[in-house]
Amino acid sequence: MAQKEKQANAFALSVHQLSVNYDKTPVLWDLSFEVPKGKLVGIIGPNGAGKSTLMKAILGLISPLSGKVEFIGEPIAKVRQKIAYVPQKESVDWQFPITVQELVIMGCYGRLGIGRRPSLLDWQAALNYLDLLGMAAYAKRQINELSGGQQQRIFIARSLMQEADVYLMDEPFAGIDKASETVIIQLLKKMRDQGKTIFVVHHDLNSVKNYFDWALILNMRLIGCGPVEHVFQNENLAKAYGKNYALFDEAFKKSEQKNAGIVC
Amino acid sequence: MHNINVFSFFTDPILRAPTIGCMLMCLGASLVGVLVFLKKQSLIGEVLSHAAYPGVILGTLLAGFFSIKASEEMQLALFALIGALLTSFLGLWLIHLLQRRLKVTSDAALCFVLSTFFGIGLTIASEVQFTFTTLYKQVLTYLYGQAATMTDIHIFIYGALALLLSLLILFFYKELQLTIFDAQYAKSLGLKVDVFNGLIFVLVTLAVIIGIRCVGVVLMSAMLIAPAVAARQFTERLLVMFFLAGCFGMFSGFLGVYSSVVLTEYFYLYSPQSQFNLPTGPMIVLVASFLCLLSLLFAPKRGVLIRLIRMISFRYDCIGENVLKTLWRNGATLPQSLSDLARYQASSKLYLKIVLWGLMRQKAVQKNPTGSYFLTKSGFSQAERIVRLHRLWEVYLVEYLDVGAERVHKSAEEMEHILTFELERELTLLLNDPQKDPHHQPIPPMRSLYVSSSDAS
Repeated sequence: MAQKEKQANAFALSVHQLSVNYDKTPVLWDLSFEVPKGKLVGIIGPNGAGKSTLMKAILGLISPLSGKVEFIGEPIAKVRQKIAYVPQKESVDWQFPITVQELVIMGCYGRLGIGRRPSLLDWQAALNYLDLLGMAAYAKRQINELSGGQQQRIFIARSLMQEADVYLMDEPFAGIDKASETVIIQLLKKMRDQGKTIFVVHHDLNSVKNYFDWALILNMRLIGCGPVEHVFQNENLAKAYGKNYALFDEAFKKSEQKNAGIVC
Repeated sequence: MHNINVFSFFTDPILRAPTIGCMLMCLGASLVGVLVFLKKQSLIGEVLSHAAYPGVILGTLLAGFFSIKASEEMQLALFALIGALLTSFLGLWLIHLLQRRLKVTSDAALCFVLSTFFGIGLTIASEVQFTFTTLYKQVLTYLYGQAATMTDIHIFIYGALALLLSLLILFFYKELQLTIFDAQYAKSLGLKVDVFNGLIFVLVTLAVIIGIRCVGVVLMSAMLIAPAVAARQFTERLLVMFFLAGCFGMFSGFLGVYSSVVLTEYFYLYSPQSQFNLPTGPMIVLVASFLCLLSLLFAPKRGVLIRLIRMISFRYDCIGENVLKTLWRNGATLPQSLSDLARYQASSKLYLKIVLWGLMRQKAVQKNPTGSYFLTKSGFSQAERIVRLHRLWEVYLVEYLDVGAERVHKSAEEMEHILTFELERELTLLLNDPQKDPHHQPIPPMRSLYVSSSDAS
């Protein structure tokens, strides 16, 4: 009971002094932030800012150098089934011999555990989630027949299959058609209204204000985290994208090369 | 052995062990092969089998120290297999180390381990040749494989192994599929991806170790990959792919043994002195590779042949549509001679004649007594549709993609043959059913589409 209460009052995600290194070069520096439940969160920052790395680190896919991460007041290992991840669609081989529905059903593998097969109900659920994304007609198709937008849609259908509370999506709007983008953002907003928390790595600064109600601006260190109207300001954007960053970038590259022993 | 038929391969006390043994070994290898093929690590089999070679020799050497004679085959085989297992794992570990610690790229690490281990193996082998001459003969069987001397014990060993492999794959089907397809996601679900990657490597190592007794170190990797590649040509379903690969593998195993026995017999009958002996292992690999080649060429959906046919038929359709367009543009009712038409096409007159003959059979074109061609009513509406698609596409490029009006023709020449009815409808809606193209030519109305489609049906 105490645990339930703890979960009920907790932030959807709280990160405390998180640092991530690749080899010896730092990628994320000392990030601390909290995000309340029921928010649609845009993770924004220039290329190489560590947005995808942040996602992988908080999911425990790569091990951070230091720091503490909690979802709904619990460490990730305890609440894995409540966290759904949508990787970049380029990270898989779309020639793999499975159908759309078989890909979506993977979403319940975590819940099923080893040695158990999805039931008829699970297959039906997969079909329903495909329908939510306008992809039911493609259920029996091979995944290699899909366009970029359709690939993204079925990836999202797979994450819905997990029936999670927190969703982490890595660039779901990259390289997809306008129609798919509309379908997806409307669905995400609906999910937010149902109390889910959704994190989205996002590139297009123009649509940030329309899409998200919470923003997390990042460039290796945290620049801002809070409601969009407070955080998504020129000052912060200049910090993340601006020219005054070039010097830092150059010094950083030097340090990277020195650490790797490329220059003396 | 004169009246050997197919069944005697499964009943004859001498033949049945190599036959069934090879088939079971191939079954195991092809199932595992599907995993590594989809994992895009086809070379791993090659590396592991070569890495096993020094182990085989060291094992044999050790057997020599324990003064095990060449006649005690079971013990000898055990020493060789354990040696092979150890050096294979050592090779795997070295690859892992090179990639993770020294940041060597995967292909370089694989090459390095393959050649180093095989080199060490050959060096020791040349030493063994003189110190343990009788054992060396045994060692050689692992280099090129020797199925003919297998006994019933092998059937049980390979049978058990094939069963174990199949059961493991079936039991962990879900997890293996997810690990290979999307490791990041699998990890996020809490799946122990490293454990399953490890399992795959153990399965491969087992299949390779057992397989080198049949086909040898040098050829083993073909047995992993060839059935998987062949199976991939026929199916888009993972489970079916496992099944087909298993079938292809077993078939290669059988046909390899069969052909080596039958052909050796055949050669013996015709020239008894030559002592020509077809080795089983290479025959199995040849059969598997040949099956693979056939599949690549003739598979019903992905095969080279069917794709060639589709390409030729598409080109034929394009020329036909271009001819209709030419006839339409030069005056829909004005007959044109063959040489008139040929001026607009980049194909020979003979080919054009064939295309025109086809169009006449479709009743799109008719020929008058002077040998000139003119459009029929249905041909006319077909031509109008092509022109419409061409001009619609031009409008789309200019208005939506900001391409200069002078540069749109080429792309439209291509797309007029590609656009489907659905895309046409979408374009029409998007562009608000335009009446003129960017060059101020009229666009034939959409109505003609229904006329032509109802004509066609």
